[in-house]
Amino acid sequence: MSAVLRLLSRRLGISLIVLVGVSMLIFGIARVIPGDPARIALGPNATEEQVANLREALHLNDPVVVQYGYFVADLLQGDLGVSLYTNRPVTLDIAQFLPATLELVLFAGVLMVGIGLPLGMWSARYRGRWPDHLIRVVSLLGVSAPSFVWAVILMLLFAFFLPIFPIAGRITDSFEITRVTGFLLVDTLLAGNGAAFADVLWHIILPAFALAVSGIGQAARLTRANMVETYDRPYVEMAQAYGFSARRIAAKYAFKPSLIPSLTIIGLDFAAMLGNAFLVEAVFAWPGLSRYGVAVILRKDLNAIIGTVLIISATFLIVNLIVDLLIAFLNPRIRHSERGVS
Amino acid sequence: MSDVLEVRDLCLRFRGYSGMSEVLHGISLNVRAGERVALVGESGSGKSVTARIVLGLLQELPSAQVDGGLFFEGEDLNRLSRRQWQALRGTSISMIFQDPTSSLNPVFTIGTQFAEVLRRRDPKLSREAADERAGTLLQSVSIHDHARVLSAYPFQLSGGMNQRVVIAMALANHPSLLIADEPGTALDVTVQAQTLKLMHDLVERSGTAVLFISHNLGVVREFADRVFVIYRGRIVEQGPTPAIFEDPGHAYTRALMAAVPRITGGGLPELNDSESAFLDPMVVHEGGKA
Repeated sequence: MSAVLRLLSRRLGISLIVLVGVSMLIFGIARVIPGDPARIALGPNATEEQVANLREALHLNDPVVVQYGYFVADLLQGDLGVSLYTNRPVTLDIAQFLPATLELVLFAGVLMVGIGLPLGMWSARYRGRWPDHLIRVVSLLGVSAPSFVWAVILMLLFAFFLPIFPIAGRITDSFEITRVTGFLLVDTLLAGNGAAFADVLWHIILPAFALAVSGIGQAARLTRANMVETYDRPYVEMAQAYGFSARRIAAKYAFKPSLIPSLTIIGLDFAAMLGNAFLVEAVFAWPGLSRYGVAVILRKDLNAIIGTVLIISATFLIVNLIVDLLIAFLNPRIRHSERGVS
Repeated sequence: MSDVLEVRDLCLRFRGYSGMSEVLHGISLNVRAGERVALVGESGSGKSVTARIVLGLLQELPSAQVDGGLFFEGEDLNRLSRRQWQALRGTSISMIFQDPTSSLNPVFTIGTQFAEVLRRRDPKLSREAADERAGTLLQSVSIHDHARVLSAYPFQLSGGMNQRVVIAMALANHPSLLIADEPGTALDVTVQAQTLKLMHDLVERSGTAVLFISHNLGVVREFADRVFVIYRGRIVEQGPTPAIFEDPGHAYTRALMAAVPRITGGGLPELNDSESAFLDPMVVHEGGKA
């Protein structure tokens, strides 16, 4: 498995460089946004002197490069500074809001893979027949409307007109759950509270589905396209000539070779959900990092903006890394190659 | 001797946007038990579709319309359900494809694929038992480091090695009919000759009947007992191999033979017959028809 280890270390190195680049970029951009952060933070009634003091304290009068130096020095000690919006350390804010977003996105990712791939597989197996046409229409519907539209539609249908699901939030307030991981699905299980677990599951289904709908459609279309191509390969014809059942060919011998090209895109889709999450979080009043991110951008809360973007970028890179490893695991050509992939 | 395979007046039409187009115009051929029969013709003459019809694969295409009698070991294949037909594939009838490397699945090991083939006959076969059986079978095709081959992926083996694997797979379940569709055409000539010799010995020993599809007359002369020459969806000549090669009766067969490159050189062959003669009625050599 040394090829995989090489791949891993290589990708980790690249990820680090990307993170440094992102931090510089966002550091610069955040300072170009019009408006004085100190003035916004202190409000219209603060005196010029108070604003000047805060600017001094935030090193805002120094050149950008020097400011970046301060930022990196703090970051290396695990300090992202204090948010002017919440008046708390940014790390604390992120620790509070990130798990909610991650839980939502991970759950949506599970829905995307768990629904999208089988739909695509089914579609390819029955290509040109009615299940294929039906899935095509459903997938196109999913892809063609953005997730916040789905969020509103789903909320209207299944939380308002048919009140099956709760309309907002992560959990009913009456449950007292000690937060260990911040992932409520995990925490409720750790607490052994089945009713609370069901409640959390009930809360997450609609927003996660809204977030996943376009990904499901895309995963289904992509899997179908790759599988239809695979069905024309001689090895599938050989499997048919040897009487392997159509179901087994679809689920194993045509599916696995097709999964490899699909996975890269699915990984990107998955990461894109991190960005889409803020609209869905807004609709469902989901107390996540994306909502926090929007709030701090509007207030030009520099430390919080950079912290949020860095964490989301890091998550994005981690997801991509996991996908790359998964591909290496599935594709023997990469696993057994001496040089790894470029 | 009884027929393993009998094809009677087989027609194949494809539904297209401009109506039906007929590809096979009533083909009849037969393969007796333990016999090696070649179906020879140029690209597009209908050789490969015939093989796929015998397997029942082409019938699953909605655009294909197949008519005519198909009998396997005396059983009328057209009266079988799809499931019964599928049960014959990989057990009583097996097939070897043109390119061994691309006919093996790239993301599964040889061992996994071999086990799947063996389980066609013996569904409850454990993986260990399958590997052992596969090892013995690989020995019979002169692969001696079978443990390495079974744990390898097709891209890690040479084309010749994959061809041996595919031959071992094809004969693993003791089929009574093996359909070989231009086997080894994608390989080097020397490797192709080696593996064909191997296949020849194996089918002779096991008494497996072979329907050998090829455009290569040199190979056919070595391999087959009887030959059917196919041109544009019609059989134009049939008979025992020596009879056909010594006295080709049909204009198309003569043209096909003239097209075989000669070691003495001489450029493109002169054809004495006009192309319209290719559509002459079928020539049957004595002893050709059972």
